[in-house]
Amino acid sequence: MKFLAGLCLLLLVSILGMGQDKPMSTDDRGKLIYYEVVVAKDIAKDSLTMRASDFLNRSAKFMTIRSTDTDTLMHATGKMIINKTALVLSRPSGEVHYNFYVETREGKYRFWMTDLKFVPYQRNRYGNFVPTTSKGIPLEHQPGKLNSAEWAGYVKAVTREANVLSTRFKQSMVNKILPVIKEKPVIPTQEW
Amino acid sequence: MKLRSLLTLATLTIISTTYAQETADAPLQISGSVDTYFKYDFAKTPNIATSFASEQNSMSLGMIDLALKKTTGKASFVGELSFGPRGQAQSIPNGAFAETGDGDISTSSFHIQNLYVNYAFTDKFTMTAGYMGTFIGYEVISPVANFNYSTSYLFTAGPFQNAGIKGTYAFSDKVSLMVGLFNDWNVYQDLNGMSSVGAQLMVSPVEGWTAYINVLNGYHDEGGYGSGTILDLTTTYQVTDKFKLGLNAADYAAANDNGGYTGAALYPQYAFSPAVALGVRAEYFNIKGVAEESDAAILSGTLSANIKAGGLTFIPEVRFDNDKDYSQSFVKSNGSATKSASQFSLAAVYAF
Repeated sequence: MKFLAGLCLLLLVSILGMGQDKPMSTDDRGKLIYYEVVVAKDIAKDSLTMRASDFLNRSAKFMTIRSTDTDTLMHATGKMIINKTALVLSRPSGEVHYNFYVETREGKYRFWMTDLKFVPYQRNRYGNFVPTTSKGIPLEHQPGKLNSAEWAGYVKAVTREANVLSTRFKQSMVNKILPVIKEKPVIPTQEW
Repeated sequence: MKLRSLLTLATLTIISTTYAQETADAPLQISGSVDTYFKYDFAKTPNIATSFASEQNSMSLGMIDLALKKTTGKASFVGELSFGPRGQAQSIPNGAFAETGDGDISTSSFHIQNLYVNYAFTDKFTMTAGYMGTFIGYEVISPVANFNYSTSYLFTAGPFQNAGIKGTYAFSDKVSLMVGLFNDWNVYQDLNGMSSVGAQLMVSPVEGWTAYINVLNGYHDEGGYGSGTILDLTTTYQVTDKFKLGLNAADYAAANDNGGYTGAALYPQYAFSPAVALGVRAEYFNIKGVAEESDAAILSGTLSANIKAGGLTFIPEVRFDNDKDYSQSFVKSNGSATKSASQFSLAAVYAF
């Protein structure tokens, strides 16, 4: 009996673990948005701006800085690949393009991801998955009954990716920027 | 005790699967499709002889298609196998011939649509070797990548696959060039040596517009199918969110004045929603006469809808062909010759 109760508890923990993502909201333009305001006591605005800029530069593989018009607001565009996954198998089903904004103040900052557009993938003549169109479909679009389950899956996947990105971003805003020193590990063979 | 072990294993599997979905980078891609169709020619006999969807008044099979792809560092491979009429006898060569004990010829298929390896030497330069879907033309064998279920005359007359080795250099996101050395059209093995050269120039002048200019030249002593030169333009332009325009134009001159073809097909498509789209294929196709024979021209119009529900796409379609030169041997329901043919088809294609 104890064993079964333990199993149930383990299952419950794993199921709860799946549902911890912060959901997307809708902004005043009717667009889906992932939005957070973070208090960072004792960290100056300049320092926050530098850390945000450093994060965007280090994310150049999937994000492009578009503008830093003011010293407080930064704008980047990004792309995330949505994969259908089962065990060790996976295939891309599309990509989502988005705008990413960061604004800093003394002791706090906010960031948001919005203007999410989904571009479906299709397998081409060589067996590779490629975008079917260059014009994405806004993710807040209501797909109708036929595609609602598929679309809900995309929104869920984007929410999950947005949470991952959010965690990484907040982590980088906490840490000071340290120069990267690449030293090869040396194993002493004289002493053992 | 056994039950307890099984339950534990099952639970841990579910939990590890949950977390694998979050973190694994999925080194192996698996995908594919299944398609089936019903076709009815209004003359009660299958008149239109373009590839696939050929069986009259029957719930018929397309193919099951399975593709694997794996990338390790700069190297990758693709292997795509197909089973069924569309993916075997109607689109790929038999792999081997063997005589049975009675002296009959039996054939076996390798089932292979794509089998190649790829290596990216730099971000701009890649080389690919193996058996690949052709770089010529707009339509392809897989029903997943075509809007219309029936195929064009240009597709049917052109190459399906090209085995060979090719290098592709991307000058920028907007311009790339491929040059390669290939086998004859649609063969696993080239018995007269690799004697075809091909090239493809890709340009993307504005966002949403991509054009491929292709050339393939082949030669073998006997001339005939696959020898000579084919020039091809394949282009698509996503004009608005909903409207897409495609064009395919080609000219094939077979070696030794053995005929060939010229043709063009226009593909306007309108998406009413992500789930429902309507498209037309309007095609002109001219068969070049061999030696002193005269040419023969065909006009074809196809109206198709794509209705998507998850991975499933329904394709209802009507098609009207006009063969003014009687080259296609269209007949009426009473068997007399006619210039026109029309058909209805309903296909279901599931992609995963």
